[in-house]
Amino acid sequence: MKLLTHNMLTSHVKGVTKGYPLLIKATEVKVNEVEFNPQFVSRMIPKLEWSALVQAADELGHRQDLPVELVPEYEKNEEFLKKVHRVLLEVEVIEGCLRCPESGREFPISRGIPNMLLNDDEV
Amino acid sequence: MDATVGNNVKPVRRSKEDKKVIRKQLKASHTLLKHEGISTAPQPTKSLVVANGGLGNGVSREELSAALKQMGEVDKLIMHPNKPYAFVTYRSEESARKAHINLNGEKLQCGENSVTLYLSYVDSVTCEEEASVPLPEGLVLVEDFVCSEEEALLLAAIDWSSTNTDVTAQKALKHRRVKHYGFEFRYDNNNVDKDKPLSAGIPQECLLVLERCVKNQHIDIMPDQLTVNQYESGQGIPPHVDTHSAFEDTIMSLSLGAKTVMEFRHPDGRLVAVVLPERSLLVMKGESRFLWTHGITPRKFDMVPACDPQSFGDTTPDLRTSSNLTLSKRGTRTSLTFRKIRNEPCRCAFPSACDSQGAPPSPSPPPPPSLPCCHADAALLEEQYVHRVYDAIASHFSSTRHSPWPRVCHFLCSLPPGSVLADVGCGNGKYLGVNPELSAVGCDRSSALVQICAERGFQAFVSDALSVPLRAASCDACISIAVIHHFSTQERRLAAVQELVRLLKPGGRALIYVWAFEQEYNKQRSKYLKDQNKELPENHNPAENSPEESQEPQGKSSVHSSSHSEDNYRTVDNNQHVTDGKLSVHTNRTAFETKDLLVPWHLKDGKKRVEGDSGEGGKKDQQKEKSKKTSRSKATLDCNPATSPGFDSNMFSDSSLDTIAATHSSKPIPGCDTSQTCSSALKSESEIIPAPVFHRYYHVFQQGELEQLCAQQAGVTVQSSYHDQGNWCVILEKALNR
Repeated sequence: MKLLTHNMLTSHVKGVTKGYPLLIKATEVKVNEVEFNPQFVSRMIPKLEWSALVQAADELGHRQDLPVELVPEYEKNEEFLKKVHRVLLEVEVIEGCLRCPESGREFPISRGIPNMLLNDDEV
Repeated sequence: MDATVGNNVKPVRRSKEDKKVIRKQLKASHTLLKHEGISTAPQPTKSLVVANGGLGNGVSREELSAALKQMGEVDKLIMHPNKPYAFVTYRSEESARKAHINLNGEKLQCGENSVTLYLSYVDSVTCEEEASVPLPEGLVLVEDFVCSEEEALLLAAIDWSSTNTDVTAQKALKHRRVKHYGFEFRYDNNNVDKDKPLSAGIPQECLLVLERCVKNQHIDIMPDQLTVNQYESGQGIPPHVDTHSAFEDTIMSLSLGAKTVMEFRHPDGRLVAVVLPERSLLVMKGESRFLWTHGITPRKFDMVPACDPQSFGDTTPDLRTSSNLTLSKRGTRTSLTFRKIRNEPCRCAFPSACDSQGAPPSPSPPPPPSLPCCHADAALLEEQYVHRVYDAIASHFSSTRHSPWPRVCHFLCSLPPGSVLADVGCGNGKYLGVNPELSAVGCDRSSALVQICAERGFQAFVSDALSVPLRAASCDACISIAVIHHFSTQERRLAAVQELVRLLKPGGRALIYVWAFEQEYNKQRSKYLKDQNKELPENHNPAENSPEESQEPQGKSSVHSSSHSEDNYRTVDNNQHVTDGKLSVHTNRTAFETKDLLVPWHLKDGKKRVEGDSGEGGKKDQQKEKSKKTSRSKATLDCNPATSPGFDSNMFSDSSLDTIAATHSSKPIPGCDTSQTCSSALKSESEIIPAPVFHRYYHVFQQGELEQLCAQQAGVTVQSSYHDQGNWCVILEKALNR
């Protein structure tokens, strides 16, 4: 699970209203090399919840010097975009779980795949 | 190396590479044998275990013993049914050593396959000399009851041309042929219509046989009902007890044309397999007729006693001891079953199986599911007939879903770069990489399929389409291709659409594809209907590829069968429709007759059965892991080129370790008809176990139905609506002010 995906995921346990962002507990994290496409990253940024991304990167210990707030005119800031690229697309959680911040319910991540299936009573 | 090895064993000069490979595989075989409880001896002994030389890998006794006998005098050769190894004990240790030198790592040709044998010494041979199992009480087998001329006469006397069912359809269904004389046996209620005798009574040609039966005191009264069954190789009949109230006690069955193996099962679990030779008469009375079930497993090969007069060890020539078996290929067998109609209620001593005395009519094949009316039932139905099936067939399914459909690609490529896309019900991720400018994420209910997405480098997670864990209005676009038709109620289908809409940003668009009830549109038959030549055509969905020229519709298939070939109890004649809310099984490659149905999937390749064998509950994932590893490692296995053609037959190699582990606790899977086959180890080229059939639930949509579903959503407009190769398709747009 990449952090780009994590940024979209939310807890859908019945009754939960503050299920975003999911907390990450990772036991295995991988960093892959992914081709840097500045345009793609640039287009993704406005669609992200920035603070959730920073928090997630922090949880994984991969935040490095990613700023708490978006820098202005990031579209032209290649250095910045590279940092975002790394955190968004290169860091991957292989094993661990996602935890609903409100209910505490944990969704396992195995072989890079989060299993978000709810039980019948949680739907 | 000794050059004088048998014709079917080829000596190969070994390079260092080869030797290394053999060492490795030998190590794997040791581990495996340990798994089976066999410990190998470090020093030479008189006895050897021959890995890959088993009945379970399709190696016959004759082939193996020919190779072994070359090395010296064989004292005993034991081949347990279904095991992928054999035990041989030589008269002398020297012979055993010779066998080890010459046969270890060597290929053995067995019919069309070849296997690589790995030999190890063993201290003792665990030969279970089972006490001979008696035949069920009341069962008598009389061999050579008719001579060859009489057999030919009887076979000729049966007129198949006047049978009701369409011959081609029968062939397509691979259903055994059945004909009745005297009275018709009905498969819908497993009983006889005693008030409607058939115009044709028992053929005259049979009188000779019946008189002989009376003379030999097998029966007192002449039968008045005859059922003729013709089984091709690979066909069978599920276990059943002949309905008590329909027929009197004694039932006689004459086997013509080929031999077969019939299995008798007692309610307490005892199983007795009986070889029925050609021209033999089987007489069932008493307990064997009233209580034991009898059936014929659909197979192409049976395990039968070896006829070798030189057979070693125990020479009891029947199936009840395992030390003397070999494989026998099935031929076409015709059985003539003679019965006497019963006119009064049955008063047998076996009320538990007696429909006159309160028991349900046997054998109750699993009742076909009904359309659910509530969410809980719907979820259960979908679990059994959608989710479990996809998890079991994932790998095979994925291999048949490789070409993205052009119009879906068009939709994806029309999205602005940087769009966020959710593919709900992404399957094997076919569409996730079509447009690399998108930020695409997929989700699917099947972890096996999501796993395939991950292997391909796509982002995906496991979830239900009714509750997708993505934030509302987080997607620029969604697609849901061939998904919503798996939901079994209108409410759930609507909920699926609602979920897609929830995910969309205002102004966002969703593309939905569902199977169409109308497979022909504008006089163009879909490829699904037309294509008869594809490999396992029954596994292709409508809309596989581009449309072809129009053809006149050929009308519906003349057999509307509410049974699949395995489910022999529901032979339905042409005009009978199942209208009681029960789901019928669709005949692939024909027009749809109902909107809610079960569609068969034939799992291809015996090897893939491993995935289908995964047990239930907690172990499931673990075994799936193992079985997945098998199919993956098959591709990456670094094999000796000399042995690669034969690799399928080889149990004992690195990859098969997991396979064996996975098959050890195979359990029956609901929605899958493998109940007839025994839980055997992996087979070579699948001659021995027929491919299982899975049934998937579908609700096929009529024209306008999908649009209507979307129209029920507020704030949504249908932008376009079309028919694409057997699918109804809709592009909907979420209003900007939502």
